[in-house]
Amino acid sequence: MTRSTFRADEILLAAVFVVPIAAIMGGLVFYPLAATTLESFFRVDPMRPDAPFVGLANYARLMTDRGVHASWLNTFAYVALAVAMETAGGLGAALLLNRIRVGRQWLLAATVLPWCLPPVINAIVWMWIFNPSYGLLNKLLLGLGLIAENKVWFNNQATALFLVSIVHVWRMMPLTAVILLAALQSIPKDLYEAAKLDGASPLRCFRLITLPLISGGLAIALSQSTVFAFNLFDEAWILAGSSVDTRSVIIQVYLTAFQNMRFSSGMALSILAMIASLVVSLIYVMRVYRETRFD
Amino acid sequence: MARLLRSLIGRAGLAAAVCLLLVWSLGPVYWSFVTSITPPADLFSDPSFWPKHPTLEHYAKLFGSTSLSQGNAVQSVWPQFSAALVNSIVTAAGATVATVAAAATGAYAFVRLKFPGRDILFYLTVATLAIPAYTVMIPLYRLMIFLKLIDTYAGIILIYVSAFLPLALWLMRSVYQAMPTSLEEAAWLDGANRFYTLWFIVLPLAAPGLIASAILTFLSAWGQFMVPLVFSPTLATKPLTVLLPEFVTRNYVDYGLMNAAGVFAIVPPILIVVFLNRYLVSGLMAGATK
Repeated sequence: MTRSTFRADEILLAAVFVVPIAAIMGGLVFYPLAATTLESFFRVDPMRPDAPFVGLANYARLMTDRGVHASWLNTFAYVALAVAMETAGGLGAALLLNRIRVGRQWLLAATVLPWCLPPVINAIVWMWIFNPSYGLLNKLLLGLGLIAENKVWFNNQATALFLVSIVHVWRMMPLTAVILLAALQSIPKDLYEAAKLDGASPLRCFRLITLPLISGGLAIALSQSTVFAFNLFDEAWILAGSSVDTRSVIIQVYLTAFQNMRFSSGMALSILAMIASLVVSLIYVMRVYRETRFD
Repeated sequence: MARLLRSLIGRAGLAAAVCLLLVWSLGPVYWSFVTSITPPADLFSDPSFWPKHPTLEHYAKLFGSTSLSQGNAVQSVWPQFSAALVNSIVTAAGATVATVAAAATGAYAFVRLKFPGRDILFYLTVATLAIPAYTVMIPLYRLMIFLKLIDTYAGIILIYVSAFLPLALWLMRSVYQAMPTSLEEAAWLDGANRFYTLWFIVLPLAAPGLIASAILTFLSAWGQFMVPLVFSPTLATKPLTVLLPEFVTRNYVDYGLMNAAGVFAIVPPILIVVFLNRYLVSGLMAGATK
């Protein structure tokens, strides 16, 4: 760049506007990120005086920790359940919203509402629904004759993981629905009219027109759901606390760092969790793009 | 005839789908509200979808100076509840104002002004959207202790700004990029300076984008749990989201009280959805797809 492309007064004004942003992002995000990465190779422990370099020892210890193992498996279960349910439900809701003419904005408002509520409050509301003695879930299932007696839902790990996922899906499905609705609305209407003239069935239209044309939105929705499910904390923490049956990787990071005060182990685990969530969502994006590139 | 029948079935299916979506989205919220106005005795014997004896008892417990729980007088929760409510409002509103101000001016600089390092700075800031909060939490905790900002409004708001600014900046940049420069240029020809054009011409035109950024930031800050769980240890800054789960005692959970308090925490988001949903949805779409 040559000097003549810049003007002094513009640079001065830009400095006033941009320097605070650079300071905040640098100080509160980039510096801590660098510190986390670096210190995951040291032994940082507020209870012990020095912080020697330990190489990959923090990472190695994570490989043998039972709590860490359990938390990874739980997180993978959350990701699989949440992404599947959010995508199926979100696509259904988006198709419905796209078809409705009368009162669409009100249905959209109702659909978006769960996303707007504090996740903690969602979890409390659902905790009451799941209550073993007086909860709505037992009452409904008893009324329908599906169960014979009240169940303590969180006594079974598979059920507990599923119910925590339900609460998470309840909150995050609106985001998938809105992203897919935006994609659906960008499809030109005459494509469907042409297909109809050619005698294509609605299912064929969906497979040959809708699906390929919303694949970009689908990739974004999938990677969003994945990243949010990887970061699941609030719902599992409120519904079941530190229980090994339901603790996610992020809960494990929190317990390691802020309850057991093993800072460097927590940092190593948080780095692994970040990499895992980025890699998985990248795989989705690349696969969806590759599979639909020729359509 | 067959055609009419098919269209009728189609309509019925559509109506059923709409009902299902409404029950799924609103049912839990409605149930929470019903619980909050159902007397404790009914809660544990025969809760119904339409409360037979609506009561404000649980709300009275929130506001009262003393309260009864299972027949025993217990300390009122109002001092804690009111402090947490104020903390939630102050931190969420403060973060919203600071984030939107920084995004409005910063994005303007990133779009309209030429300065060295412009693009790299913008993309670095937006790239932090991919960094989860917990990855920076531990060094941030030490930094906040060092700066003596633990359990202060300033500390919490600064963390929220660093977390929510990238999305707001991304949104505002797309708003400015879609805006023609001709109006600004006309104002400069009339002798207006940059501050004047930004304040009186650009910002009013960008109002929908500003509202969308404000809504997204406010909702994120209002619902935040993990950040205050670590950085707000006392009632000096502890918000509702951290206080409410503490109402769960080891042997007894007052669900009526919890739901009444929860209803308070969901009133601001509900107002936003009812009155500003257009901006919210456009912000979500722009934030997720551009």
